[in-house]
Amino acid sequence: MKILEFLKDKENLIAFDNSTTINRADVSIKNNSLTFKKGNEFFVFLDNYDAYNELKFNFHSQQKIKLFIIVYQNKNIKMDYSFNLDDSVELEVFTNFVSRRKTNNISNFIYNLKENSSLKLLNAITFNGNLDLNCTVNLDGEKSEVTIDLLNIGGFSNKHKVRQNVNHQSKYTESYINNWLISLDNSVLDYSVSGFIEKGKEFSKCFQSNKGIMLSDSSQIAVEPKLYIDEYNVEAGHGAAIGQIDELQLYYLLSRGLSETEAKSLIISGYTLPFIDKISDEDIRRHVTSQSSRLIRRKA
Amino acid sequence: MTLEIKDLFVSIENNLILNGLNLKVNGGETHAIMGPNGTGKSTLAQVCMGHPSYKVESGDILLDGESILDKSVDERSRLGIFLAMQNPIEVPGVTNFDFIKAAIQTRMKKDEHLRIGRFILKFEKASQDLKMGQGLAHRFLNQGFSGGEKKRNEILQMKMLNPAFAFLDEIDSGLDVDALKLVGQNVTELKSQDLGLILITHYQRLLDYITPDYVHIMINGKIVKTGNLELIKRIDQEGYDWVKKELGIEDEDKKPYSLGTCPSKH
Repeated sequence: MKILEFLKDKENLIAFDNSTTINRADVSIKNNSLTFKKGNEFFVFLDNYDAYNELKFNFHSQQKIKLFIIVYQNKNIKMDYSFNLDDSVELEVFTNFVSRRKTNNISNFIYNLKENSSLKLLNAITFNGNLDLNCTVNLDGEKSEVTIDLLNIGGFSNKHKVRQNVNHQSKYTESYINNWLISLDNSVLDYSVSGFIEKGKEFSKCFQSNKGIMLSDSSQIAVEPKLYIDEYNVEAGHGAAIGQIDELQLYYLLSRGLSETEAKSLIISGYTLPFIDKISDEDIRRHVTSQSSRLIRRKA
Repeated sequence: MTLEIKDLFVSIENNLILNGLNLKVNGGETHAIMGPNGTGKSTLAQVCMGHPSYKVESGDILLDGESILDKSVDERSRLGIFLAMQNPIEVPGVTNFDFIKAAIQTRMKKDEHLRIGRFILKFEKASQDLKMGQGLAHRFLNQGFSGGEKKRNEILQMKMLNPAFAFLDEIDSGLDVDALKLVGQNVTELKSQDLGLILITHYQRLLDYITPDYVHIMINGKIVKTGNLELIKRIDQEGYDWVKKELGIEDEDKKPYSLGTCPSKH
């Protein structure tokens, strides 16, 4: 197994490939099911891992955990993941897919939250290849909540198809989705963002924000923000703002002597900053910054 | 250095805005351009900076005798032209510090390196001179700035970039008396044998703090009268009607052309 350099020295590292498992953390691993015991920060590295069974992550009541998941692949991968949060769990999950050559990735993530649990998802997608990502969050327990922040930078002729579904299945549940999308070259980013609030699940909140910048004439971003609400007593809102780089901002930076490449790169760095700032681990933050800068500087 | 605008005709979307404008500014000179609304004062500044929305129909802009019409916006900036904008743009996520550092680095030769310590000291000094307060370096460019802060930030950039010619487009709008005095002092300090200043303003109050060598009145897209401080006093008292009457200028039924609305907070 070839663990990425910046992860090698991490304590609480759990790494998988199809033949080996490394477990430096206090986590029990049984039948592809991980149960977290002591500790509050874990790094999971999957090296071309494509188990037939889904990879399960289980969290006990009152646990407060940060989980950084890096999926590395140089072949086509299909994987299912599930995360089960007991009552009053505070979970932060960072995911990032890395591929050095064009591959395909089909990933299905399901998150189930019980009462009073909260989930923060940070998805950094700078994947070189075609991605089919399905993310479903089931807010099963009352007062459970999820915040999803996603940065997707698509380059070359890659297609990233992302489906985000949040099911409000109890009262007083809350969901907030913020997507930052950047499309370069001939890439296509295709997003379907859905929030479902069933009848009777009152006092719930469901908000979606999608922002997108297309950096070439042949790049595409399509976003469908959808709300399916069968209850009056809720708060909800959704929107999508997709366009090209702000010409006024570009002109302003050019007027101070920055070249067009430098100016665009700076504007895009500024655009991605609110996402990058949310990454608490410095090495991971540097890793994502480097990935995104490499993609953007190449084309900005 | 010399900036010379020769018989310049400029349009935007088939509306002729500048109508045969001539102006010559030598390094070290301060020119004030005054005139009624919609007469093309801001257009002049934007065209010299190279704003892509404007079309130069004929005429030329010469920097030390060389035409800059074929130069891009960033090239003009690196050649020494600076525009302190009427509505400075907000750029979220880009800090003042990174922005100005990048702008200075673009002016350096390939084998030169930015001395970061010296840069920080200069930035802090400029920031203090303009009473921009602590933390300016890490604030996002113009985002959440008051109108006055935005204008002072333009002057700060000017101080850091040391241009050869600077257009200050209504730098006095949105400034209270104290801020106006501060900006006036800072700009006056920058006046030297080298810096050519072009002040675009409606009011005398800015010119109380920055004394111009020449005062030009611009009407219908060209400079119709040039004088000295006496001209400002008369404009302040009587407006522009006497100029029109004296020169037999009839009002054109033109409305100011808008390039869009002011950027709002994102």
